Amino acid sequence: MKRLVGLVVIILFILAFSLLLVVAGGSIVPGREVRGLARVYLNTSYNPWSPYFTVNSPESVTSVVWDYRGLDTVFETMVFYLAIIGSIALARGYRKYIPAKLDYSKLGLSVIVKTVTRITAPLIIIVAASIALHGHLTPGGGFQGGATGAVAPLLILIIFSQYYLIRRGVRKESMLIVRSLGLTGIGITAIAVFLAGLVAGVHAYVLQNQAKATAPVSAPAYIDNQLISGTLWFFNIFEFFAVLAGFTIVLLLLTIPERAYQGGGGE
Amino acid sequence: MDTATYFLYILVSSMVMNLALALYGIFYKPHLTKKIISLTILGDTANAFALIIGYRLWPGEITPSRPPILVGWTHLNKTMLQQYVSTAVDPLPQALVLTAVVIGLAVTLFLVFLALQIYRHYGTLDVREIRRLRG
Repeated sequence: MKRLVGLVVIILFILAFSLLLVVAGGSIVPGREVRGLARVYLNTSYNPWSPYFTVNSPESVTSVVWDYRGLDTVFETMVFYLAIIGSIALARGYRKYIPAKLDYSKLGLSVIVKTVTRITAPLIIIVAASIALHGHLTPGGGFQGGATGAVAPLLILIIFSQYYLIRRGVRKESMLIVRSLGLTGIGITAIAVFLAGLVAGVHAYVLQNQAKATAPVSAPAYIDNQLISGTLWFFNIFEFFAVLAGFTIVLLLLTIPERAYQGGGGE
Repeated sequence: MDTATYFLYILVSSMVMNLALALYGIFYKPHLTKKIISLTILGDTANAFALIIGYRLWPGEITPSRPPILVGWTHLNKTMLQQYVSTAVDPLPQALVLTAVVIGLAVTLFLVFLALQIYRHYGTLDVREIRRLRG
């Protein structure tokens, strides 16, 4: 009976999707023109001739992420943190287990792998930072940079063991502080232009980047003739640190040695 | 039907198949790890769908569609901007997908950790066994 129900469900699914393909077949194939909304985004993301609509960022994707739909991204960041907080809550009650005698050179994988990791891990961090810092100019941004940078602690955790990383100061607590600082930075950047508007006594919006016709304050688009696209650059930096630290926390929790769980309860 | 449309139909059909397989894995595989793997396949398929919606066929016979990044903004003139708007793909689905990928990674890590804790608690990852044990 149960198998029959499953079969019926699968057949119905296939039939429904076939119907959908037939009905919506014409619109699945993308056209030679993009939608009107996309035209607006592409036209205004870097446009010196319409100063009240532009974001001053040649990267349209980052403009959408942190300017046109900035509030969406703030909420997505919230979902990300809820997942991290859930992991931390699940890991409560484990005891610290550090063996009395620790020979760090004997932990982890072979010398060859360790040497290669010593070379590649800093390079990964550099690439990640470059992805995050140039997020408003080239493909990339805070999310991508953070996810790339989290590969380095993952490599070190597996190849050098967890104790190596903890001895270097990358603990759950310190990463929590970095993560909270990044989150605070995102919050401050979101309301910075609004506060500036309050001080100046003019209209301004939360998550505003460049000046609008009704709100004449804006975050600086250029610093020392370098394009930083107002709040986009700060958002990318803070998001980079927050995502990197958040992933590092979960990876640290995942690699807690089994022995720390035995008996359970208490620090 | 031209070649591009033909291949797009094949792509979309195979992705619908992928979706069906992922749903089958989530509902019918008893092992939690396999459920999580199916969930990642489901998420990636949904992301690929979003990207296809945002794609744009080549605007001309020899002018390819380009990524939504303005090249040469330091010496921009109106012709370049016009050309950019008429060739770049839709940036909105890409923006939605990029956050969805990172959040998907975080949620997957959370689920893996949850499965690990379930294994430590019950000694099994089979949902039928876990249901029978009742805490």
